Amino acid sequence: MAICTVYTTPSLNSTCSISTTSKTQLGFHQKQVVFYSSGKKTSKRGSNTTSPYVITCSTTVGDSKTVVIGLAADSGCGKSTFMRRLTSVFGGAAEPPKGGNPDSNTLISDTTTVICLDDYHSLDRTGRKQKGVTALDPRANDFDLMYEQVKAIKDGIPVEKPIYNHVTGLLDPPELIKPPKILVIEGLHPMFDSRVRDLLDFSIYLDISNEVKFAWKIQRDMAERGHSLESIKASIEARKPDFDAYIDPQKQYADAVIEVLPTQLIPDDNEGKILRVRLIMKEGVEFFNPVYLFDEGSTVSWIPCGRKLTCSYPGIKFYYGPDTYFGHEVSVLEMDGQFDRLDELIYVESHLSNISTKFYGEVTQQMLKHADFPGSSNGTGLFQTIVGLKIRDLYEQLISTKAKTPVEATKA
Amino acid sequence: QVRPVSAAPEKITEKVAESIKEAQETCADDPASGECVAAWDGVEELSAAASHARDKKKGSDPLEEFCKDNMETDECRTYED
Repeated sequence: MAICTVYTTPSLNSTCSISTTSKTQLGFHQKQVVFYSSGKKTSKRGSNTTSPYVITCSTTVGDSKTVVIGLAADSGCGKSTFMRRLTSVFGGAAEPPKGGNPDSNTLISDTTTVICLDDYHSLDRTGRKQKGVTALDPRANDFDLMYEQVKAIKDGIPVEKPIYNHVTGLLDPPELIKPPKILVIEGLHPMFDSRVRDLLDFSIYLDISNEVKFAWKIQRDMAERGHSLESIKASIEARKPDFDAYIDPQKQYADAVIEVLPTQLIPDDNEGKILRVRLIMKEGVEFFNPVYLFDEGSTVSWIPCGRKLTCSYPGIKFYYGPDTYFGHEVSVLEMDGQFDRLDELIYVESHLSNISTKFYGEVTQQMLKHADFPGSSNGTGLFQTIVGLKIRDLYEQLISTKAKTPVEATKA
Repeated sequence: QVRPVSAAPEKITEKVAESIKEAQETCADDPASGECVAAWDGVEELSAAASHARDKKKGSDPLEEFCKDNMETDECRTYED
């Protein structure tokens, strides 16, 4: 569907034909064509010299604007796993831009483009060392450029985005980012700057507790040459003040927070293998209806293990209930423990409501598709998948409401 | 024309080890200084990059890799119907 608005200043009796290509290709969003009819063609009044026709066309009104999603988390906290689950919900694999910088942090799929906010570092690794600031420090980041470029993409304008090279620690030459249907900005500060925050249609914060973060980093780094328990600890400790000052406060702005905590099923567990994961969903967010268990608004504690679900020690426990989070009303869904057999997840899925699936068993199917990803047997994978489906639902609702009001959409 | 190749995991591993040594030296003088904190932040950044590089390498199937460039060979041909 192509909708065109034609504005004419003093009507002329000249004919002009407008052909619109109805391509719905990514990057082709809005075209402005200006026709000038030369005043030499004798008009009756003869007073007009030039008279412009301004024709604004947008192919499929919903396409004219990109939906922007923000994902905040510390480094090494599973952002990339979440991103892979999210892009999988929209179909198609996300891959780095073809033929570009091999160290590019961008991932592109048919519908989604994921950009890493590290690309907006204003200081490279050496610069930060000289100034004595971490990457978490706002002084090491260029929020003006971040705002301008995210806004441009949201308005359908391609941008030349810098690339921060994580291997060399240098800022590489920029790459071209075309406006996708869905733009995901992931990194340390997607909700830090209020201008960028206002551009987000949905925001997520991955909140990993200190105990679990430590356990995860040991798993990640212990095999690495040079690393020891002391160096991992030192690195976490050194970054903590900046993390608490600049990253952690962003969670109050998130529409959904995924909290990862040590299990309560085993007393004094420090292994970080069994997790208690909480999905905190803000109430009253447009196009986002929180998931619930059995009865919306009640407080429910549920142990599904028994005849229908095989659980070994320590079992699985769900919790659902209303709560307040930084003064906001929220709904909390919690899962403690892990699945032994992923296909039995269907039993849990069938008791959850408002999960925005398109068919019965979609959550289970998505989880089975990526059974090898970290977190697939516990609440992190389950809730990440559910958030992915909620984002798809939000995207579809946003698009359909825009299509209903084409005039406003084109004017905006 | 030679396509650029992203840094091999082995190379990043070396850099991680180097950065840890550097951070320990920087912090020996003044453990609470900005430089010390920035040095450990650099360690974290490189460790994350190393882990991403390892994941990428681990995930790749040798046959899949081969087939990317050799679609027409017997072992790679697939027909939709």
